[in-house]
Amino acid sequence: MLEAFQAMGSVVLDPFLLLLIFATTIIGVVIGVLPGIGATTGAALLLPFTLTMSPVHAITVLSTIYVSATFAGSITAILINTPGTSAAAATTFDGYPLAQRGEAGRALGIAVVSSTVGGIFSVIVLCIAAPMLARVAYHFRPPEYFALTLFGLSMLASISSGGAIKNLIGGVFGVWVSTIGAEPTTGIERFMFGNYDLYEGLSFVPVFIGLFAMSELLVQSKIANQLTSTIGMKAVKLPSREDYKRIWKTILRSCGIGTFIGILPAEGATVASMIGYAEARRWSKNKEEFGKGSIEGIAGAEAANNAATGGAMVPTMVLGIPGSGTTAIILVGLMVHGLRPGPYLFTEQVDKVYQIFGAMILANIMFLVMGLYAAKIFARISLVPISLLWPIVFAFAVVGSYSLSSALMDVWIVLIFGVIGFFARRHGFAVAPIAVGFILGEMVETNLQNSLKMFDGQWWMILTQPLAVLFLVLAVLGLCGPMIFDLLIRRQKHNGDSSNS
Amino acid sequence: MQPRAFPIFLMIINLILVGLLTYQFYQSPPDSIPLEPFQTWGSIILLVIFYGMTTGVDFFVAIAVVMFLMCILWGEKRILVALSASLVTPILIFVLFDQVLQIRFPRGLLLDWYYG
Repeated sequence: MLEAFQAMGSVVLDPFLLLLIFATTIIGVVIGVLPGIGATTGAALLLPFTLTMSPVHAITVLSTIYVSATFAGSITAILINTPGTSAAAATTFDGYPLAQRGEAGRALGIAVVSSTVGGIFSVIVLCIAAPMLARVAYHFRPPEYFALTLFGLSMLASISSGGAIKNLIGGVFGVWVSTIGAEPTTGIERFMFGNYDLYEGLSFVPVFIGLFAMSELLVQSKIANQLTSTIGMKAVKLPSREDYKRIWKTILRSCGIGTFIGILPAEGATVASMIGYAEARRWSKNKEEFGKGSIEGIAGAEAANNAATGGAMVPTMVLGIPGSGTTAIILVGLMVHGLRPGPYLFTEQVDKVYQIFGAMILANIMFLVMGLYAAKIFARISLVPISLLWPIVFAFAVVGSYSLSSALMDVWIVLIFGVIGFFARRHGFAVAPIAVGFILGEMVETNLQNSLKMFDGQWWMILTQPLAVLFLVLAVLGLCGPMIFDLLIRRQKHNGDSSNS
Repeated sequence: MQPRAFPIFLMIINLILVGLLTYQFYQSPPDSIPLEPFQTWGSIILLVIFYGMTTGVDFFVAIAVVMFLMCILWGEKRILVALSASLVTPILIFVLFDQVLQIRFPRGLLLDWYYG
């Protein structure tokens, strides 16, 4: 434990790392306020730049982008009623009405304080929960890992955007994409069609840049001519003592909700903020204020979405299962830099892990300062015309994807997955399930094969392993719960429609 | 397990899921999706142009041309601003990646001249 604290403390003594966190927090906040570019797209675009860095510095850059962009989405949500990231969507419900009443500074102050508390709380939970979970995961064998990855995939059914079935189709498609290239154990070619550039399979980064950045570019082209107007504010002010009295319980509750939702595989900050907001409303004594500028609404959504960032890092680092789209990119970052995610990370490279945790706490503190003193400047950045912004993103996306392995094939993959992602989104399929499926695909197949080898091809023997059975039961619950819920809602709607007619 | 078994298994699962989705659509038909504006289709065509220009002309020339056309297509009326953004950005990115990150880019009309 002492070793862990020392490693976390060493972050403060590394001037380069401090400078890096400072610079990345600014970039993260800019990314968060720019229209359409969220934490996931930002992390995907910045990943190529981290290749020359040390593993700790690289993961610090990605995780700082994650926490600061997640917070910064609230700046535009409050000032122009447009969430900079999907995680800030719930903040618009009360943030914008409060800003319209001339209290934009107060709204931002509450958002920034709630986000910081949520972020730091979740990193503390991460520091405590991750090693504990790692001790359990240390005993996992292929059957347990296979069942766990199935559980991770089943959770895609409950991701907020898209329906359960659409998300599962996306997830299975992602797993199928991961089978392109040589089969892991035999080396037999699959879906290569004679193209040996695909022998090692599709690289994670170009697929992610395509799915998140390039598809977003095509989505943004639909609103190219839309104008936005910003609300003016004098300064961001800290919540008053009365405000604190009203929101402290909401913040604490949302911290717990956000961290728990974040820990669930494949769930993320967006789901957390929606639940955080809904719970804030449910427990509030001033329900009538919600939707009209309630400070509890802002605090509930913001504390939860930032708490989810630390929570989502738990399954990512301990089990190698991403907790959200952005952590899927952080997971790729870990692998690219030779830090194999999993329980061994906590025994073999514990100092690096705690340095990353320390850097995340510092990033949370830095965006508190920036949010309080520079939100006004950052808000202006959101007014950059998207007709100039997105062509620049295009240039970074293609050059960044090429730079990873100096192969034009990666650039074509970005373009192809950009178009696939766009059409998927056009028809109501979210791209995050495809990304999560793609990243878990190899794990599922390899662990299934190893399990079959362990039991001489008798697959039913997997069901004799208690932990594996537990994960499989959870997977079935994860799968069936939202589907039954979906069906019930549709049936209710159908019955309602027919009785009306 | 045969190497082909896993992808076939995945395709079967997806076929079942597509069947369920079709049933859902049959039960409650989804709203029709409005057709995208010309900027979206134009942007997809620009991606094809980018592929053609990269393989036929030069990677960075392709980026600059596509950036400029995209700015105009998306409604940027200030031609000079669009032109300078589409020239300055690729140059800055090239300098960053070539000098700082030491990346060698694919040869083409412009880079043949630069690399010699």
